[in-house]
Amino acid sequence: MRMDWEELQEKSFYRSSARERAYGIVDPGTFREFLGPRDKMYSPHLVILGEAVEFDDGIVVGVGKIDKHPVFVISQEGNFVGGALGEINGAKMAYMYKIALKCYEAMKEKYGTVPEDRKPLVVVSYDSGGVRLHESNAGLVAHSECMEALWKLQNKVPNISITGSSLGAYGAQGFVCMSGDVVLANDYGRIGLTGPDVIQQEVGKDEFDASDRALIWRTMGARSKYILGDVDYLLKDTIKEFREKVKELADMSMSDISKHRHLGSPELVEDNLELVKIAAELKIDDSKDLWEYYGNENLDELPEMPQEEFLKVAKRRPRRGM
Amino acid sequence: MVATTNFLGKAHDAIEYIFDKETFVENKIGSTRLDPDLAPPAMVGEATLDGTICTVLSVNSRRPNPRFRVVFNGVMGMEETYKFSQALYATIDADKDKPIDEKRPVVLLIDTPGNSPGKIEEIVGMTKGTASYQFALMDARAAGHPVIGMIVGRAISGAFLCHGLLSDRILSLPKDYGTIVHVMPTTSIAVITGIPLERLNELVKTNPVFASGAEFVYKLGTIDELLDNPDQMRDAIIRNIAEVKELRKQGREDKLGIWNRGQVGAERGGRVKRIEAIEKMEKEFENILPDLLE
Repeated sequence: MRMDWEELQEKSFYRSSARERAYGIVDPGTFREFLGPRDKMYSPHLVILGEAVEFDDGIVVGVGKIDKHPVFVISQEGNFVGGALGEINGAKMAYMYKIALKCYEAMKEKYGTVPEDRKPLVVVSYDSGGVRLHESNAGLVAHSECMEALWKLQNKVPNISITGSSLGAYGAQGFVCMSGDVVLANDYGRIGLTGPDVIQQEVGKDEFDASDRALIWRTMGARSKYILGDVDYLLKDTIKEFREKVKELADMSMSDISKHRHLGSPELVEDNLELVKIAAELKIDDSKDLWEYYGNENLDELPEMPQEEFLKVAKRRPRRGM
Repeated sequence: MVATTNFLGKAHDAIEYIFDKETFVENKIGSTRLDPDLAPPAMVGEATLDGTICTVLSVNSRRPNPRFRVVFNGVMGMEETYKFSQALYATIDADKDKPIDEKRPVVLLIDTPGNSPGKIEEIVGMTKGTASYQFALMDARAAGHPVIGMIVGRAISGAFLCHGLLSDRILSLPKDYGTIVHVMPTTSIAVITGIPLERLNELVKTNPVFASGAEFVYKLGTIDELLDNPDQMRDAIIRNIAEVKELRKQGREDKLGIWNRGQVGAERGGRVKRIEAIEKMEKEFENILPDLLE
């Protein structure tokens, strides 16, 4: 597939396919795909079920460069079976973390220490509902394999999460996303564990009305996650915006990148637990209650106003060490 | 023991069944005292197993969490995942000066139907709770503690992902003793995917990725060892702890944990195409590695 890199830069990240996002997030002409459509590694289980398959199994993985940094890209395609993970796309995703670490180790061997201007990065563009139910047992363990592998990247290989596509990062992908070092989003980004429909089905409409779009956005959407600290940077919706932020992070020292981390240490357990306790004490019923607690006004306008204005007025939960 | 022994919804009873009699002390790990008011369903503490101090992490289905209305019947909410994390960091701290041989084992008694599907959880971030617990398990393994998961009841979907799947070794009782291992029942999968239930029920006989139950996920390597009955639990856990310790001492981390279970599963005939995908990627990567290092 031929793609015009310059054109991709101005394209809406939200409207871009997984392959366009992968090509456009790295320097022009540098992206090389692993197990691309030509390898025809599709799901054997969808075949058995008589379902349509894709030759890339709904995920684009490969490596490109930003300056001297090798950038390992995992890009999910929400248009294929909800971007959900099964045996093959799960293996592709999980093994990318392993490859990124191998690259880091090889670089260490070659240069003695990994030079900051060459350190490899992982970038994941999420667009998935989690486990692919058509092959559920395989999808489940694939997520666990991702977690075991990405845990090893900490303080070595920056792991950057992006949510800004049609499906967000839901189900088990929600916690894989939050396990990254830094989380980037546009206004379409969403992060959650249990989706609106599932909450309504399991607990009831009085807990969550899945037909209420505004409720979904202010519960799982990027602006609320930005105020509460789960999204580190809220960006305009072009591929270029995301590429430039990734480039900026690539040039940051590993220790400065690690300061963004949302979890993974006893200190962050206490930090996260503090928000849980505040939510319980305030008996919150809506994300607006927490926005107000952290000093925000115009609660009804915050989700609606232009992004530039939002970024100026939004008051965020203070984070430790930042 | 007759086949009616069943720990479904009674994981706390399994503590007495497995560990040395009356040695379990709740909310104590080494010199750390955990807050008893935090996460009532998260039943954590110390017990001895054949005289060795272990950290025990289990969910008590009879205790709801008064602050979160969706957290009852063994559901793991945010407080629960953070309390398990605290227990693991207390475990690491308790043995931080001890040699690898003396790092206390961590035993997870698995019986939980899911992570808490609530609105407040989504606002605050259930995602971070479950990921924090998973990172803490990995931290404990990295610090040298053997981590053993023992399925005694429900091992379901996201709750199994955080409370179990990242263990060094996972053991399970068979279905006859009340265990349920799946993402969701085939009846629900049929509704969501539109695949007729009869077809699914036919398929589970030959392909373990569709199936529900410990016997099937064993073939995928999700479970290391399938026990015959509860009487075997104590000895099996003791033996697995010893094996994990030995492998860890030899630096054979590759023989432990979920990644290894993928290999084990392929040997049992499950997820064979996964291995093919990984091998192809490895070759493609090795071919371009010299360029990447330039």
